[in-house]
Amino acid sequence: MAALVAVIGGWAGATLLRRAWADRLRERVGLIVSGWTVLAGTVLLDAALVGRVKGSALAVAGIGVAALIVVFQGRTVRAARAGRSASLAPEPLEGPSKAWRGWLKALLAGPLGMTAAMGIAFCYATWAPGDPRTRIIIGGLLMPIAWALAMTWTLADQRLLRSLAVLLGTTVAGFTLAAMRGLV
Amino acid sequence: MKPIGKQDAPRGGPLSPATVRAVLSGHGILGLAFAAIIYLVCLTGTIAVFAHDIARWEQPDAPSITAFAPGALDRAVRFAQESGPTHATLYVSLPSLEEPEAGIIAYTPALHREWAADRNGTLTERRTPIADFLVDLHVALHLPRAWGGFIVGLTGVALLSSLMSGILAHPRIFKDAFHLRRGGTRRVQEADLHNRLGIWALPFHVAIALTGALLGLSTLIVGVLAMLLYRGDTAKVYGLFTEAPPAINAVAAPLPPLEPMLAEARRRGGSATPHQLIIERAGRTDARLTVSSERDRLLVPQDTTIFDVKGNVVKDRHPADLVLGTRMLGGIGQLHFGWFGGLPVRLLYGLLGLALCIVTSSGVTIWLARRRDRGRAVPLWERLWAGIAWGQPLALALVGVTGLAAPAHDGLLIWIWMAATAGSLTIAGAAKGFDASNGAVRVRRLVAASTLALALVYVITRPIGLSGIAMELALLIGAGLLFRHPATKPRREGHAAA
Repeated sequence: MAALVAVIGGWAGATLLRRAWADRLRERVGLIVSGWTVLAGTVLLDAALVGRVKGSALAVAGIGVAALIVVFQGRTVRAARAGRSASLAPEPLEGPSKAWRGWLKALLAGPLGMTAAMGIAFCYATWAPGDPRTRIIIGGLLMPIAWALAMTWTLADQRLLRSLAVLLGTTVAGFTLAAMRGLV
Repeated sequence: MKPIGKQDAPRGGPLSPATVRAVLSGHGILGLAFAAIIYLVCLTGTIAVFAHDIARWEQPDAPSITAFAPGALDRAVRFAQESGPTHATLYVSLPSLEEPEAGIIAYTPALHREWAADRNGTLTERRTPIADFLVDLHVALHLPRAWGGFIVGLTGVALLSSLMSGILAHPRIFKDAFHLRRGGTRRVQEADLHNRLGIWALPFHVAIALTGALLGLSTLIVGVLAMLLYRGDTAKVYGLFTEAPPAINAVAAPLPPLEPMLAEARRRGGSATPHQLIIERAGRTDARLTVSSERDRLLVPQDTTIFDVKGNVVKDRHPADLVLGTRMLGGIGQLHFGWFGGLPVRLLYGLLGLALCIVTSSGVTIWLARRRDRGRAVPLWERLWAGIAWGQPLALALVGVTGLAAPAHDGLLIWIWMAATAGSLTIAGAAKGFDASNGAVRVRRLVAASTLALALVYVITRPIGLSGIAMELALLIGAGLLFRHPATKPRREGHAAA
């Protein structure tokens, strides 16, 4: 029942949003608001039906699948034209790159990003208010998020020394603060 | 069908065009560096969602029950205690209408045995090599747990970062959220598919990547935290989340009758139903018996009643007694694997998992197509990627065939997988007539044939029950879709694009 609600609600919300965004000449605020409201309502309804966490997780999955059905229903099909790109989407930066910059970026995005993320996570686990178990779990969830952000940032930022300084500083500060406080 | 609009240049978003291009560049580098491992982890994860269904499918004679006969539970536990490894902890899964099966795992860090129980408490050894192989490959790549978990966790972080940079790199991601063009240039077609699947499945993919990263990195996080705060004593960190063990008393003592304990846990739990029984130090005076009970509206069991060897209640905890962290810890695994809410949830997870596999594969295809468009094609990499993208389903299908044909030789499966992986890469890389598009079609047909072979071997080697029929149908539909030639001819001419 809850899965059906998620799929139907997701389909209805996505259909409204598709109509809103199909018109590229004007903003159709009413349809946009209605679409998001239906999607939010679907999450709330599922949460009410089967429980907060269970219902929300189920709704997120159901809405995703339903919206993809709407996307595939509205696809455009045309003849292949070799050698022509219809996309004006952004292009990545390209150009000659030095090997040492590549290795340094890998170091920043990998080990240094990881230690900086751990510094932030442990700092949260030791200094944030609340039960230590909750702080450890939230800190644990923060760690992959912070590491992923560090990866995104360092791979995009051309100023490598700045990245290096920030990540090293975060690592040292995070670990020092965590060691000073301990799990109280 | 709708007319094709013009895609705008990256203006108007919160980021400057130069930043968007830099982020997109990082997105590409990260995606390419981790594409193969992300694809493997996502593919095995998508199948692992159905691990319980696969286990039931490969051992159709395992008993299916909704309740034990009087006295049967005690008989089953006694048998497991006598037959399992010495000093094993027993994990007893209790049957219910929603999950009509009962099982016992006798576990020690070095060895474990697993049985399914029938209504009378008679145990049948569980032999589910295919499901076990898939879960192990997904969780730790069949490497030692610490290393394999770290690599899978790192893959989760890379995926999470790719999702973040993917959103930042597409300023019009919401406005173009329904813009899917098929039949045009390969690059535009793949880019549309990549972006549309990526945006609508984003909340799910973020949740999966985050929980997967945490599960994989947990050993490392606990290890470093313990080094920082407890001089390396990880037991102190784990001890925050587990009950302290009872004082040692190794004098022999029989287990108390189990049914009255379940009745007591049921009485104390209100609407909660006993789901699992854990027996530690069975046969000793310091034995501990823990009954976990589940409620319909909660993701994981949060009612726990602990008994001593005489059957007295030692501790009784309910959801209101648990801190947020303990509740979250229990739910992370369930949320990651989709093992809550029954078959509808597993199907939704399966579809979105498949979407993530396509997002990963199309990401690489876009990069390859961009190079080809600019006259800098890399045919070797095109062939190798086809070898990975189609070689992995082929390798897993061959593992399935071997697991069905020789279930007692579970150690063989990793070698079959490694040989199929190496073989598909070598053939794709070396074969002169194998170009990315015709090669992919051939390998896809091979995957379809191996899926059919899997269905056929099952019919030959197993009696077909209800779960068997469902799985056979799924395999046949999958093979049919794979055999179907992709639609290259336009069904309808769209409006000219920019």
